[in-house]
Amino acid sequence: MSETTTRRQFIDRTCRVIGLTALGGAAGLLARRASAHAVFQVDPVKCTACDLCRTSCVLSLSAVKAVNEFSKCGYCRLCPAYMDVTSQPDEKGIPSGKVCPQDALKRRVVGREDPDDPNNNYYEYTVDEARCTGCGKCVKACKPPAGNGSLRLEIRYDRCVGCNECGILVTCPSTAIVRVLTPGLSPTAAPGGEPHA
Amino acid sequence: MWPLILLVLAFASSALLAQYQRKPPDFGGTYTFPTPTHPEPRASVERALDMVMLGAGLGLGAYLILKRRTRAGVVLLSIAAIAYFGFYRKGCTCPIGAIQNVTLALVDPRYLISFGVLVFFFLPLVAALLVGRVFCGAVCPHGAVQDLVLLRPKKVPERVDRVLRWLPYVYLAVVVLFAGWGLPIVAEGGKALVGRRFLICEWDPFIGLFRITGSFHMLAIGAGFIVAGMFYGRPYCRWLCPYGALLSLCSRVAWKNVSITPDKELSCGLCAESCPYDAIHDFQADRASCVACARCYDSCPRHVKLRRGQPVALKLYRRSQAGTGVS
Repeated sequence: MSETTTRRQFIDRTCRVIGLTALGGAAGLLARRASAHAVFQVDPVKCTACDLCRTSCVLSLSAVKAVNEFSKCGYCRLCPAYMDVTSQPDEKGIPSGKVCPQDALKRRVVGREDPDDPNNNYYEYTVDEARCTGCGKCVKACKPPAGNGSLRLEIRYDRCVGCNECGILVTCPSTAIVRVLTPGLSPTAAPGGEPHA
Repeated sequence: MWPLILLVLAFASSALLAQYQRKPPDFGGTYTFPTPTHPEPRASVERALDMVMLGAGLGLGAYLILKRRTRAGVVLLSIAAIAYFGFYRKGCTCPIGAIQNVTLALVDPRYLISFGVLVFFFLPLVAALLVGRVFCGAVCPHGAVQDLVLLRPKKVPERVDRVLRWLPYVYLAVVVLFAGWGLPIVAEGGKALVGRRFLICEWDPFIGLFRITGSFHMLAIGAGFIVAGMFYGRPYCRWLCPYGALLSLCSRVAWKNVSITPDKELSCGLCAESCPYDAIHDFQADRASCVACARCYDSCPRHVKLRRGQPVALKLYRRSQAGTGVS
């Protein structure tokens, strides 16, 4: 191997230096704008509960689940999100059908239990996440004036894989899915969501 | 006048709605209102771990490929990469997809790019400038899947390969276009028909395998690439991967590259026969197309690997020489 540099070696070395500088420069430029990690979030004000969250998520069981905000819930016995008010009434006159096709909205009695009339009670409504598909039927039924609007669709981060491009974000007709910065999750945290068409 | 009427109406309707808001009764201290749980997104420690694993994989890969020159080591590292970056991280974040994020970040200053994505994009490129396509050989889960399913590598005709070799660059241009600007085709309703899309993510062949779920077209493409990969080595890497195009450009001028023979070249051509990716030209690894799979080392007669007291490659060499009548 000769001591002097061959032309090939010189070209290689120059290109290498240019390449490293270019990569380093671009990386530095972008790093100044780099954020902490961003996650996807549903804006409950814009969400229309259109059922696309169930089908557009890349996971077979969507990472979007219904969540009940207990402080807003009415704890009603005739919950429009729990029972399908158009279904056949049972012998006590209460609609027998359920809104949730997976029977994921569960309820339990709280407070004083009326032994003579089991339906004259207040109920705590919770969502069974193992069953919930994120279809949004309960969310739609809970919207005012029929309900209090305490149920909303939310992306659950223990299930969300964190895709580069959220499959639901692309299809959402009301652009209700935005990317927000963590920590401090809130719909208003991000200075503008992902500018998708 | 009108704004005032609208304002009054708005207040009135919200007052009407408020009267419909049902409040639960005061349970008198026997019941505390629960707060809904909000699972935390991936902790920053775990995201840092991803970057550490990437760096470690690249470093270890470079050591195993260039220093230890062992195929077995590369296979083990590939399996570990499939386990971590493939099945555990479900293939996301990957440097291939990061092309789109970086493009979008350069085009649109509003776009929030994550620091981890930057590391995933730039680190393998820097590594390629220094030690060649170590990422392809040891760390990329897509490449590892194809490398491990390879059964009987067939040679692709030179004419076909000459055309296919340009596809990664074409695909790179297309994905950069779609990630940065999209195609401004507008439908009747005024909504853009094909806006900005992350094509790499939508058409990734192996992500369905790693997520163990997916739409029909993704699973079908994945199956197609795996079947093709059994006979034509690494079809995605050689003829489609846009990141491979970038790595290939960097690897051409790499500081250290795969040198097949430890000392002198015999011009026997055994290495070229063993390479499933047609990456050996003139008895040397072609720096652009060598994916650092480390298969060629064991075929070199100078690479002594003792088994039952005799170098294996030397046996092969002598056998090939005996066939041609030269002792």
